[in-house]
Amino acid sequence: MAELEYNEEEVLSLASQGDRESFGRLYEHYVERIFNYVYYRTGNVHDAEDLTARVFQRAMNHIKNYTDRGVPFSAWLYRIAHNLVANWHRDRGRKQEIPLDDLPVLPNKGDHPERNLVRSQEQESLLRMIRRLPPERQNLLILKFVENMSNAEIGEIMGRSEGAVKSLYHRTLLSLRDQLEDQNLNLEGD
Amino acid sequence: MTTRKQTTSHEEEFDTLESHLAGTLKRVAPPSGIVQRLRGRISMPARETITLRFHDWRTLVFIFGGVMSGMLLIITVARALYHLTGRRG
Repeated sequence: MAELEYNEEEVLSLASQGDRESFGRLYEHYVERIFNYVYYRTGNVHDAEDLTARVFQRAMNHIKNYTDRGVPFSAWLYRIAHNLVANWHRDRGRKQEIPLDDLPVLPNKGDHPERNLVRSQEQESLLRMIRRLPPERQNLLILKFVENMSNAEIGEIMGRSEGAVKSLYHRTLLSLRDQLEDQNLNLEGD
Repeated sequence: MTTRKQTTSHEEEFDTLESHLAGTLKRVAPPSGIVQRLRGRISMPARETITLRFHDWRTLVFIFGGVMSGMLLIITVARALYHLTGRRG
């Protein structure tokens, strides 16, 4: 019900005037998306929680400076998240492996248990490969598959044209396919 | 003919890869309580705001005076109680 009454333009205007309640509504609207983005970029829940909080704290502190110049609020938030994740990786000086306990591997209903096991192993390998990709390619895959965004929407967030996103996506798939071949991994078709 | 076969094979490979990516990169629900905890953290004043409060001398004097008055009141009540119960004993 609250979702139906959510008028982003109005909420943004109030939030930028320092209205905390309105910022709270923006938070409710975007927290899960930002958490997912950060979670897939960092690979663990604790850092994802910490960084998500920092994204919204930074957004709250700078929302007065946010002016709608054709860039959606979501794009602005994702850019903050991207910068904070980049700093996080730089500070650590290494790319963390995703702890196995944290992997969001969900079995498909009706599948045979052995098939589920194979799927999980495939998904683990694929996640590791994704995390070895350059950050912008990881961003692209997360936004495309986790957030189900179109190339145009991804382009707005990444500051690229729709065509450039399409081309980057193609190169990313090629790169993943080559990595699979290098590791002699054969993904099972459905 | 060979080129067309190769293209079809590439497309099939990409389709398989995309379906696996869709199965792997799924939206996850944040663990329960995390959203409320984050909300609590966000509604906390920022570090800079807290630091600024410590530079405000008038507020600091008020806080210090309040703490000292509270402590004196507690000590007075405690002493009064001690004397009352001590006399009875």
